[in-house]
Amino acid sequence: MTRQEVLEKTKKVIHDCFPDMEVDKLQEDSVINTETAIDSMGFVLVICKLEALFDVKIPERQWNKLSTLGDVVDALWKRIEKK
Amino acid sequence: MRFDSFRHLLSYWAQERPDAPALRYESETRSFSELCEDVCKRAEELKRSGRSCIGVLADGSLSCVEEIFAANLAGLQIVMLDAMAPEPLLKTLIRYTDIDTLWGDGELCDELSPALMGGVKDGAGKLLFFTSGTTEQAKAVVLTDHSLCQSAWNGSAKLPLQPEDTLLCMLPLGHVFGFVCGLLWGLSCGACVALGRGARHYADDCDYYRPTAVSVVPLLLGFLLQHSCVNEELKLILVGAGDCPPQLLQAAAARGIRVSFGYGLTETSSGVAISVGGDPFAMEVCPDDRITLSDDGEILIEAPTCMMQGYYKRPDATREVLRGGVFHTGDLGRFDEEGRLHITGRKKDMLVLPDGTKIFLPEYEARLMSALGHTELAVTLRNDRPLLVFVGQAEEKTLREKLRPLMELLPRGQQLAGILITDEALPRTATGKIKRWELQKKVS
Repeated sequence: MTRQEVLEKTKKVIHDCFPDMEVDKLQEDSVINTETAIDSMGFVLVICKLEALFDVKIPERQWNKLSTLGDVVDALWKRIEKK
Repeated sequence: MRFDSFRHLLSYWAQERPDAPALRYESETRSFSELCEDVCKRAEELKRSGRSCIGVLADGSLSCVEEIFAANLAGLQIVMLDAMAPEPLLKTLIRYTDIDTLWGDGELCDELSPALMGGVKDGAGKLLFFTSGTTEQAKAVVLTDHSLCQSAWNGSAKLPLQPEDTLLCMLPLGHVFGFVCGLLWGLSCGACVALGRGARHYADDCDYYRPTAVSVVPLLLGFLLQHSCVNEELKLILVGAGDCPPQLLQAAAARGIRVSFGYGLTETSSGVAISVGGDPFAMEVCPDDRITLSDDGEILIEAPTCMMQGYYKRPDATREVLRGGVFHTGDLGRFDEEGRLHITGRKKDMLVLPDGTKIFLPEYEARLMSALGHTELAVTLRNDRPLLVFVGQAEEKTLREKLRPLMELLPRGQQLAGILITDEALPRTATGKIKRWELQKKVS
């Protein structure tokens, strides 16, 4: 799997959780809880689904630092690469 | 049943309902007799350790609950810490509260151990909860197992659970609403408390534990309903620690779930008024409390059994809000013709978010000013989320970059959800104070 694939799958998960959101407009530097409709609970939902999809775990203490879509993809990609 | 202490509560139910389930966490269950026995055993170990003040990095697990009860029985002062808080902040709080031992995730405890202090001399019975501020200025509210037990009784007198109920505890135990209404409320009634398995399981905890009652903050209620995460057996939801949109309550009622709304503060050991009738926003005052309104509508509380002892090492801050046994809440309210309390607004420079946490505006804005090197700004809410109003010329992207290190230190719900750049001056009073309501109205 490539990082680009992780990015695409992440966008798909966000779309599945929030169908009304225009996921195509999301950029890597889009701030997840501001430029999108995702609030803190929605973020938890997205992260849990991503963790299940990629079979990795991002420690909860790191969650607050995942500000942009790119941050989320980086955190996932780092753990996928290590597997 | 009214209990005087944690010891009283545990020993009473161990005798009355020894084999009934008291706590569940994942596949583990503790009966009341097992819980009492485990707690007493651990209390003996803690007594022998010679420690006097324990910081609990609360993770909501069964062993976490047992440790809290055991430390109390052993006479240790207990400080409830948020395990998700950044390490520098945790270290500051450890020093401030004189913690000499920690309980929690081993790796985190090791990292925090250099901050440990020498303990306390008079901590028996005390439990310290931080007000929802997430900065170094957060105040520790000194409560006791007595005041917390009284608060649990106070609430259950209005909203009782039955021993056959299962109460799901989804909220962090480090917040007094979670501790009293998620844990003690159930145990006081002899019911089983199912301990939630953390944020990762918000969506499936109801399905896993099949609770009959749950305590939530508005944000969590919205999540559970929006994603259909409630189970058929659930018949009662207690909502507290924040304003709740009426449509959420209607959505719950449409599923045949009774919703009660509670009002209280950390300083009063949780709830002082609770709705029990058809209107979830019309709250009856709990039996041990007396609520009056000041001339300008501020809610004043007398709660002799549940009131805090004060803010830890902050007599000045205590005197500001607690005068002659009367707590000045900073919230505004009114009574209806039937004597029920309605919350109408806030007097303090404070935002209460749907996740139950609070933003103390002068402090929050001062940090933003410092990070941006700009003083003409204010924070308000838009769509229930924090919005920065920046007066002047700037690029939003640049502002975000400058604020990023600060935002990373804050819980996600408290991070700025938007920035409004404007040339229009902030609405201010003659003395220069920001007119918060006017600003709120403008951006809404």
